[in-house]
Amino acid sequence: MKHLKPLNKKAALVDQAVENGQMDEVVAMQVVVGCAATFDPGWEVDPFGSVAALCAPMEADLYGCSDPCWWPAQVPDTINTYPDWNAKAASAQNDWRALQSVFPKK
Amino acid sequence: MKTPFIRGLFAALCCAGLLAAVPTCAKEYLITGVKPNGLVVIDPAARKVEKSFKIPGAGVAPGTIVPSPDGKIAYVVTNHLESVSGIDLESGKEVFRADFSGNNLRVKAMFAMDVSPDGKELFVFQSPVRLLPSEYKVEDTRIAVYRTADGVGAKPVRLLPAPRRLAVLAFAKDGGTLWALGWDLYALDPKTGAIRETRQVLNWTRENYGPPDILDVWPQFEQAAVFSTPYFTSRTDLPPTDPSAFKTGVLTLDLASGKLEMKDFENTSAVIFSSVVNPKKRDELFSVYTQLSKIDAAGGALVKRVDLPHTYYSINIAGDGKEVYVGGTACDVGVYSTDTLDRLGQIEIAGCPDQGVASLRMIRR
Repeated sequence: MKHLKPLNKKAALVDQAVENGQMDEVVAMQVVVGCAATFDPGWEVDPFGSVAALCAPMEADLYGCSDPCWWPAQVPDTINTYPDWNAKAASAQNDWRALQSVFPKK
Repeated sequence: MKTPFIRGLFAALCCAGLLAAVPTCAKEYLITGVKPNGLVVIDPAARKVEKSFKIPGAGVAPGTIVPSPDGKIAYVVTNHLESVSGIDLESGKEVFRADFSGNNLRVKAMFAMDVSPDGKELFVFQSPVRLLPSEYKVEDTRIAVYRTADGVGAKPVRLLPAPRRLAVLAFAKDGGTLWALGWDLYALDPKTGAIRETRQVLNWTRENYGPPDILDVWPQFEQAAVFSTPYFTSRTDLPPTDPSAFKTGVLTLDLASGKLEMKDFENTSAVIFSSVVNPKKRDELFSVYTQLSKIDAAGGALVKRVDLPHTYYSINIAGDGKEVYVGGTACDVGVYSTDTLDRLGQIEIAGCPDQGVASLRMIRR
């Protein structure tokens, strides 16, 4: 934490808790809270530093990655927040036009 | 050798269902899940979809599928990972259902699930979180055990403590051990959940090797009773610019004997998601992603690799070891020769719905 400075009271309390060794264990939460807690940025490059080994076509991988929150940033969270985002697009390859942007519910 | 008359009589009795209990009469069917919330039974020999069912209730993407040992029911994770539905594969009727969440507890089941070899109990790995007014409290992961006879509305009869990050559950053939793959491979007591033994996987101590990376959420071990999965690792004694510094191997766990093996078979040159063991040549293994690979698991060598028309996640194999089936992702299942890796055919699912991460399972009935 030596490179970070708390900007508000809550962050200061976190900082203090770390110093006092009072932090709880950090546990993986994406399954139960939502995709926003997943830090995997998605598949921009393959393990070889290129794109040739990514899924082909990209649509073959869209739901496999987004349904379990593998791609949190690029598509809505279908685990909790927008569960039916792709309900009317059974085929990512054929029905992608039915995949819409989402907005926070009022 | 049987005479033609005896062979004919035998076939006629099989067709009439009079020898249905004789294993050689049994016919194989593939089971897969499709969007939205569908279950498909495929006759791979006829290259056609036999039946399609709608899973009741909410949900879009069917997840892990576990067939009952008699091949009559498929248990499917549904309802946005919050339920498991048991579908009768003859009638399509929901004969079992367990809804996990309730009150202020939200419970998700990602991937790991299996049924006991006697078909009486279903084991589901779950991640619960308590939704409190000002915070989400992540609770300990667990394996919920359901009695399959409890039918629709089943409640867990036991909640077993379980390590985090489990992705695969696989029963030993004798039902005495529940194997659980997470960062390591755990041998669990199915009655209590007690960890009897931990086989090191991510935490292996192999000299000059980094920890192996495994991504496996596809249970497809029913044909050979051997669970297998690819792993990726790197040599720490070689510079990263050396192609031989990166290794791909396969982990195999014999569900009859409990024997675990991890063996490299190539310098990493392809991404692989899942694999299956040939029940007739148990050293022969097939793996899938955008290529289909044939691997000599015992010798640690790649035998052959062919390109696929698109990426597939999952793979299963015929009981006679002659054909492999690649599925998951899109809306077809590809059929390949285990001998030549030639594409022999494909089964198109009507309407072209994506299979996504749904399991590709084989039943015999």
